[in-house]
Amino acid sequence: MAPSDLPDDAWRAGAPARPVLALRGVSKSFGAVRALVGVDLEVHAHEVLAIVGDNGAGKSTLVEILSGAQVPDAGHVEVDGEEVTFTSPGAARAQGIATVFQELALCENLDVVENLFLGNELERGPLLDEVTMERRAWEVLGQLAVRVPSVRVPVGALSGGQRQAVAVARSLLGEPRVVILDEPTAALGVMQTAEVLNLVERLRERGLAVILISQSLADVHAVADRIAVLRLGRTNGLFSASTTTYEDLFAAVTGVRTGHHRPADGDPPTASHDASGGWAR
Amino acid sequence: MSAVQQRGSLTQVELAGVTGLSPATISNIVKELAGAGVLSTAPTSRSGRRALQVTLARNLGLVAGIHFGSRSLRVAVADTAHQIIAEQRMPLPPDHRADAGMERAALLLTELVEQVDAPLEELLAVGVGVPAPVDVRTGRVSALGLLRGWEGFSVSEELTQRLGVAVHVDNDANLGALAEARVGAASGFQHVVYIRVSHGVGAGLILNGQVFHGRSGTVGEIGHLTVEDHGPICRCGSRGCLEMYVGASLLLDMLTTSHGNLTLPEAIHLAQNGDLGCRRVISDAGQHLGVAAASICNFIDPELLVIGGELAQAGDLLLDPIRAVLGRRSIPSFDGPVGVVASALGSQAEVRGALLLAMDHAKIAAPMGGGL
Repeated sequence: MAPSDLPDDAWRAGAPARPVLALRGVSKSFGAVRALVGVDLEVHAHEVLAIVGDNGAGKSTLVEILSGAQVPDAGHVEVDGEEVTFTSPGAARAQGIATVFQELALCENLDVVENLFLGNELERGPLLDEVTMERRAWEVLGQLAVRVPSVRVPVGALSGGQRQAVAVARSLLGEPRVVILDEPTAALGVMQTAEVLNLVERLRERGLAVILISQSLADVHAVADRIAVLRLGRTNGLFSASTTTYEDLFAAVTGVRTGHHRPADGDPPTASHDASGGWAR
Repeated sequence: MSAVQQRGSLTQVELAGVTGLSPATISNIVKELAGAGVLSTAPTSRSGRRALQVTLARNLGLVAGIHFGSRSLRVAVADTAHQIIAEQRMPLPPDHRADAGMERAALLLTELVEQVDAPLEELLAVGVGVPAPVDVRTGRVSALGLLRGWEGFSVSEELTQRLGVAVHVDNDANLGALAEARVGAASGFQHVVYIRVSHGVGAGLILNGQVFHGRSGTVGEIGHLTVEDHGPICRCGSRGCLEMYVGASLLLDMLTTSHGNLTLPEAIHLAQNGDLGCRRVISDAGQHLGVAAASICNFIDPELLVIGGELAQAGDLLLDPIRAVLGRRSIPSFDGPVGVVASALGSQAEVRGALLLAMDHAKIAAPMGGGL
């Protein structure tokens, strides 16, 4: 994408402002399972934060809390520095936080336009405003540079990468500030993976904060600005992607090595991963 | 026919100029080859005159170009008329490894060929560019310490095994130079220096119309020319290398305290919109490049200097400081200082070069026999 194609308002020059979305000392247990323990995270506008971890590291619980599907037992969520409580995914969406779940929740038999506007159809008098919806659909797909043969083909006929793009496009119609992508490249071929990674770069270029949850270190490392490693419900390191090696990440995921940011039991959760650049390398 | 193969498409009159044959002979040869289905012709016009555009016929097969950058992979499939018919780009992690790269490139290429409804057998040749010195005789990455995990790795052997087709490898700056000299900003020039500035920096030399490879391919590694004796230590072990002053991550690091996280296209965009910090960083990079470029120009005396890579998107913000330093430091000549232009092919230059490399090696057999 040529820089001149970018919208001017996508830029946030100046020092890193306060985070758009932050978790402060968030814990969540399911019976004896401590899914999350004192997790601190923050994501800024115009940034891709990746969250990686093994199975059972707490990634899914984290997504559920960020998207409003679960309420934390301790700690809280902040939007623009203000403490908020999401009681439902709708409440999170209203705050500008859109989540694209792994299942995508698309209707295979409906076409692209119908999927994009499902439940939010535009109306014109007693009828649906098909023309405006179709125009908006091309617009938002165009912004993401998604190649679909037509917006009137059923979603079932699209490739995995294109479906992911349609699901992301739908989340963008609500003009969110944070887009959370849950395992967007799982079960995709290399071509579709390439499309999704390009898509993540474009979301970032549009000035959005992106949270990318994935098990694939290589995919995450390719597009993220910062990478948070979750291990057994705790943050086991926060890394700056450009200066971190694959080995460091892998060591943090498997627990061979720990990042600097690992509050021991009983310690108050530290907020040492601020914008001062003091990240583990 | 090899003239058409090299340039993609040209008119009969241009063909006569390139080959040195008479227009009548060319006309006869073209007619014969068109009859055999090797060439196809279409009426067009050149400077207002009617002319006949000659291209290789489409059904002769496909060639592929692959470019591994420091942080991205680009794969393109073209027909023998040099038309790119399918292309995909993919971001790659820092320090990406050779084995995973081969796997991804091979899979992407296979899918792209499928996408254009062609069997893999139609692939005539593959050209590959890698961001490290390559010994073109063996297709092996020849330098030590410049691309972690790729040293001594034979790209051509590995990919030939996967794809079952001849694979030719070269350094990416060399391929960018080839593309700019054949079909880009330097077409028509015989001696060209191409400098590619993105995450790293490298140069490709075209001497007498040919890519110059040197002994084992480390020609043009200008990223490790010393520009500052007491500068920071570089990954190559030396001090004050050019790369430490113009590489993308170094430029962006300089901006983090004032601008936060930026990518290179963002910094360029801000600079073009008047952001002083970003302009300064880009113009300083231009000055450092100018110092290196002046030495090269004093040595090679090229006809044109082409600046490519991501940073070249900054245009005159980068080129003007280069021109200024060149004017001061290069040997004064009656013809004035050497021209400095931005790449015409942009981010596609290297992959276009890879396609040209593949095309040069492709053996095109006429469907009815009798090549030329």
